[in-house]
Parts: sequence; C-alpha cells; structure tokens
Amino acid sequence: MLNLTDEQLLAQALAGDEDAFTVLYRRRQGPVFRFALHMSGSSHIADEVTQDVFVFLLQRGHDFDPSRGALGAYLFGVARNYVRRALERNYSEAILNSPADEEAQFLVTEDDPADGIARRQTSTALWKAVLSLPEHYREVVVLCDLQELSYAEAAEALGCAIGTIRSRLHRAHDMLGRKLRHSAATAPGGVSRVTARCAS
Amino acid sequence: MTCREFKHAAASLTLWELRTDNGKLLDHAEECSKCGAWMDRQQMLAVSMQALQAQTAGREAGPQVERALLRMFRQEPFNTRQSAAAFRSAPVAFRLSRFFEMGAYAAAAAAVAIALFLGVRLLEQRSAMVRSQNQASPAAPAAQAPHAASMMPAKVTPEAPGPHAVAVRGARAVHPAALSARSKPADGAAAAPTSEDPDYVALMFCDPLSCSSDAQVVRMELPPAAGSSDHDAPLVADVVVGDDGVVRAMRIVN
Repeated sequence: MLNLTDEQLLAQALAGDEDAFTVLYRRRQGPVFRFALHMSGSSHIADEVTQDVFVFLLQRGHDFDPSRGALGAYLFGVARNYVRRALERNYSEAILNSPADEEAQFLVTEDDPADGIARRQTSTALWKAVLSLPEHYREVVVLCDLQELSYAEAAEALGCAIGTIRSRLHRAHDMLGRKLRHSAATAPGGVSRVTARCAS
Repeated sequence: MTCREFKHAAASLTLWELRTDNGKLLDHAEECSKCGAWMDRQQMLAVSMQALQAQTAGREAGPQVERALLRMFRQEPFNTRQSAAAFRSAPVAFRLSRFFEMGAYAAAAAAVAIALFLGVRLLEQRSAMVRSQNQASPAAPAAQAPHAASMMPAKVTPEAPGPHAVAVRGARAVHPAALSARSKPADGAAAAPTSEDPDYVALMFCDPLSCSSDAQVVRMELPPAAGSSDHDAPLVADVVVGDDGVVRAMRIVN
C-alpha cells in the first residue's frame, strides 16, 4: 500500500478502501497543513483547512484528472481556496490576535538556547513578513520557498503561468527583503545577528 | 555578465538555486557592489526561509482531524459504488424530472387557457344579460309601439296559463321564417312555442342568426275593432317579443 502512487491510492479510497485513504491522508496532510499554516499563521485554521481539503477530495475526487497535474498540486489548489475562505471569515480575528506570535512558541528550537532564541526571532520576523504580504505574493512564497515546489508545480496549484509565478516570486523576495531590513532596524537583536552570522 | 543579465538570470532561480548554482552570479556579485548587496539580501532571506521551514517541518494536522475524517469516511457513502450509481442515475432522474416539469408547465398552461376561455364566455353571457335587462325595461312599451302602432293601444297582461298560453321567458323562440327553413319536427308541449306553428304570423323579416336570441311570448288583449267581427269579445293575441323589444310574430288566440 505504501508503494502505491497518490493517484492509485485516491482511486482505491474512492472505491471505499479505508486503508488507502488513511495512507493517502498521512502522506499528504503534512504539506497541506503547513501550507495552510504558513498562509494563515493559525494552526486552528490549518486544521480546519486540512479537514476540508480531504473531505473535498472524498466528495469530488472523481473530478481529479491526473493528466492535468499531480495530486499534490491539486490539493494545494484546493487548500488555497479554503484558506482564502477561512481568512475572509476570520479576518478581523486573525489580525487582532497576530497568530504568528502565538504559533512562534511552537517553532522547533535547537539545543543551544541563545542560538535557538535567535533563530526563533528570525523565523518569527520572517513569518510576520510573509503574512503581511499580499495574498498572491504570499502564495508563491509559501509554495516555492517553504514547500519547495518547482515553478511548474506552483503554476499548476495556482492555475497561472510559470512566468507569472517567477515574476511574483521575484517581487515578493524584494518586498520580504525590505520588510526584514525594516524589522532588523527596529529590533536589532533579531535578523541582524543572523545576517552577521551568515556573512561570517 | 552585465547587471541586466545578472538580474535576468537571478530572477529565474529559486532561493535554493541561488545558494547552490550561482557560480557566474557570484562572480558578478563580487565585482558589482549593487548586485552583491542584492545577492546578500537574497542569501539572508534564503537562510531565514530555511530556518522557518526547518522549524515548521514537523507541524502536522492534529489527530482529531484524522479521526474526524475516518469517522466521516465510515458514515458517509463515499465509496464508489454508491456515488457511481448516483452519478449514473442522475441523468435518468434528471430526464424524468424534466419530463414531469414540462408536464407540469403544460398542465398549468392548459389550466390558464381554459380559465381564460371560460372567463371570456362568462363575461359575454353576463354582458348579454345586462344588455337584455337594460333593453327589457324600455322594451315593454316599445314592444307594442312599432308594430302595434297601427293597432289600437293595447293592454299588455302577463300571460296566463292556458292551453295556448305558454310562458316561455328565457326559452328560445324561433322566428317562424327561420323555423320554416329548418325541417325540424316539433314534439311535445315544451317544444310548442319554439316549434313551427302555422298560427303565428311573422311581422318582420329577420335572418335566423339575429332572430335566434331569447324571446318572450306575451299575451295581449287587443280592442275588438282591431280586426274581429265580434265586437263584444276582445281579441287575445300571443306576441313573440325579442330581446331587443321588437315584435317578431304574433298569433290570434281566439
């Protein structure tokens, strides 16, 4: 069962095979959850989106066409729509609670406390910068930089041209660089330390 | 490599590719301070991104999500047999529903058409009745006026029951000329006023269509001088008066 492709597992799951569905879920829920987490900054929204995506897959999985792309990209595309809906629904709550701060405490730290704190600050600053990006820039950053999808896979997931992904990503990197410089200037203990460490 | 070529080449690479496959780009970045600063920012961003990615790599959906999904998977008819059957039966159901829908539309249209037809007929009948009622009141004096003008003033009395006096208000009296055109045999007493009666004398010519409307038979007493040799007994006549108040025919009873 573990050697089967996503498409084979989906076919068996739609035929009523619970084991196939379980294997497919455990294989694909992590990327979907992290995509939703990076996009929303809230693990509650990410949980909700993950569940919605797989319910959608069970109900509308027959519509999936393997010739048009991989199942992973298809799931990211579905997740993107559910994230958008969840953010529209919880927009004011998400802005007021600043979810990245809440989620930052769950970031994995290293054994060295000082290094761990610095990395956590860096990651938190970056995450806040990512969350402050406009949605279409945030999508490409999350997919290409954090989920490590290729341009082609990201284009499949977002339903746009590869050139669009490339230009959006380039622009998003410029915006992130400016935001990180600004946050480093306001909080000198954070990114500037990492910058110095990288340069050394 | 020029700065323009540098930017063009860098734009086509991901952050990770910038950190690995950047031999030519690094050479230019060392030569050009502006491009070098840009490259430093990208590398810093790549490091930060890698840190964030590594720190969230272990994040997954909670076990409650999997439990909820499996519960739904077991409860809901997600399996292909049922969904495929539903999918296959959908067009038939759709066709049936369309059939019934079209039938319902046709029945509704027929009902509307029938209601319109009946409504128009009812309105026609009512307007005819109103017209006849309106004409009935001035018709009484007019009934005897045109054709009895040559006669003496007549006294109109309600028709008394008798062997020859049959009240036929509302019954259709047919003009003798029209009746003679038809070769329909008369039968029974009820048909007597509408049947061909040789005693009635047509007072005017009218076509069967216009004279086929309702008429009344009114018994009138005429002065003896009107045409009887018997000077003592008044003449009694049955006069057929149409809806328009015009006398169609009459007969002398005695």
